[in-house]
Amino acid sequence: MILSVSGLSATRSGRTILHPTSLDIEQCESIGLVGVSGSGKSTFGHMLIDDLRSKGLKVAHVPQSPEEALDPLRSMRFHWHEAERALGLDTGSTDKKTLFTALKIEDGDLRKRPWGWSRGMQQRFVIAMALISSPDLIVLDEPTSALDPVTAAATMDLLEQHREDLNTAMILITHDLGLAARRVSKLMVMHDGRIVEQASTEDILERPKTDVAKYLVAHRSWAVVPC
Amino acid sequence: MLKVDHVWVRRGAGFALRNISLSLFPGKTLAVVGESGAGKSTLIATILDLVKPWKGEITWAGASVQTCSPGLVMQEPRAAFNPVLSLRQSVLEPIVARNEDMPHERIKRLSDSLELSLEIFDRYPGEISIGQAQRVAILRALIAAPPLVLLDEPLSALDAVIQKHTAKLISDLQQEEGFAAMIVTHDLGYAMAYADEIAVIKSGGIEEVSTPQTFAKESKSGYSRLLMEAAMALGALEPSA
Ligand SMILES: Nc1ncnc2c1ncn2[C@@H]1O[C@H](COP(=O)(O)OP(=O)(O)OP(=O)(O)O)[C@@H](O)[C@H]1O
Ligand SMILES: [Mg+2]
Repeated sequence: MILSVSGLSATRSGRTILHPTSLDIEQCESIGLVGVSGSGKSTFGHMLIDDLRSKGLKVAHVPQSPEEALDPLRSMRFHWHEAERALGLDTGSTDKKTLFTALKIEDGDLRKRPWGWSRGMQQRFVIAMALISSPDLIVLDEPTSALDPVTAAATMDLLEQHREDLNTAMILITHDLGLAARRVSKLMVMHDGRIVEQASTEDILERPKTDVAKYLVAHRSWAVVPC
Repeated sequence: MLKVDHVWVRRGAGFALRNISLSLFPGKTLAVVGESGAGKSTLIATILDLVKPWKGEITWAGASVQTCSPGLVMQEPRAAFNPVLSLRQSVLEPIVARNEDMPHERIKRLSDSLELSLEIFDRYPGEISIGQAQRVAILRALIAAPPLVLLDEPLSALDAVIQKHTAKLISDLQQEEGFAAMIVTHDLGYAMAYADEIAVIKSGGIEEVSTPQTFAKESKSGYSRLLMEAAMALGALEPSA
């Protein structure tokens, strides 16, 4: 199945923050969305999700900030049960333990509210919620931004495994070209609310065409020190 | 000098921080690295006196840390602003009110380096991207030239280009003003390039504190090695030939 959206756009306070954008996502495809901060990546993610959900498709979302997904006044257990209920499952029926162990959050106290967990743990909890179901598409907005490299790699491995098992397509929004290089086959570069370049990951990393893509690729390893 | 002296913090039946001792001198940068959930943000909260230690003491120049009004960047950038005020009201106006001689050039220098257009300040926190919120938080933390800054993953939502400019801004200001900086980061490349010392935290305790050079060459703890390998695999560090 191909997931298609066309003419998505967004205007806020009189400013166009997303110009009309179309995209086809093939089954199981993994696409990376990169661009400088403020270029419209999260906005595109939100519009894409709203559009596909309104067409009846199942889309899981891991927002950039766990805050967006977690109510500060509700316990973690409540969130988990809500996620199950939203999928029409009996509460407590999903295999939480395996997921939590794989994500190394099995020690998290479910009676606590989100702020009783570290931000990186909250981020992985939200990822676990996205993995309960078998969605058609999973949209991850900077999913490893609060994770150390060891945990980030393990989390991405788990996601990949899950996607393979379920044939789920993925949009990975990230500022980290190193992460994208390893995890997606195609890259889209966003700038000022437009997708200005798209090609295979290799092509963009080796032969970027637009100025933004060149700029991002050139600064990719700005802090790399030999050691 | 910031002194963290044998600090223990309780969490439930156990401990979120175990026997942490650290010192940080003016003009120096301490990078704090470690696994997600290891207690890095709890350490910052304890230094700020938002969390009470069960045992131990934290001081700045012998007094409470609050007395030096440290600059702070929290991990959740948007949560740091009052949602019902524009950023001009919640960020710029208090700064100008507290520092009457605040030159306009300083605001401009910081916003330019952080690639923030001044127009952004007329918006509400919900109307900017998360990376923009992180940059406004950095501006707020540094603008009044505090003697101590505590930055919790300050570059985590930024693209490589802005990361580079932001890292340079923090380091330039530190050279000029001599503040002490504690930077929690999971970006080992950044820590290696900019920190004077790197502290590795695991399960609430300090595994090791070393200079970037010794960290790279003879890191003792198993976790440091794991971090280095993972960072190399991500291309964030380069193995030397
Ligand atoms: N409600 C709003 N009113 C005005 N401008 C907005 C509003 N919401 C977002 N914007 C602007 O739209 C642009 C795109 O925001 P978006 O959050 O999609 O960026 P992003 O690429 O995800 O950035 P980041 O990498 O920092 O997360 C930004 O310049 C932001 O300031
Ligand atoms: Mg975003």
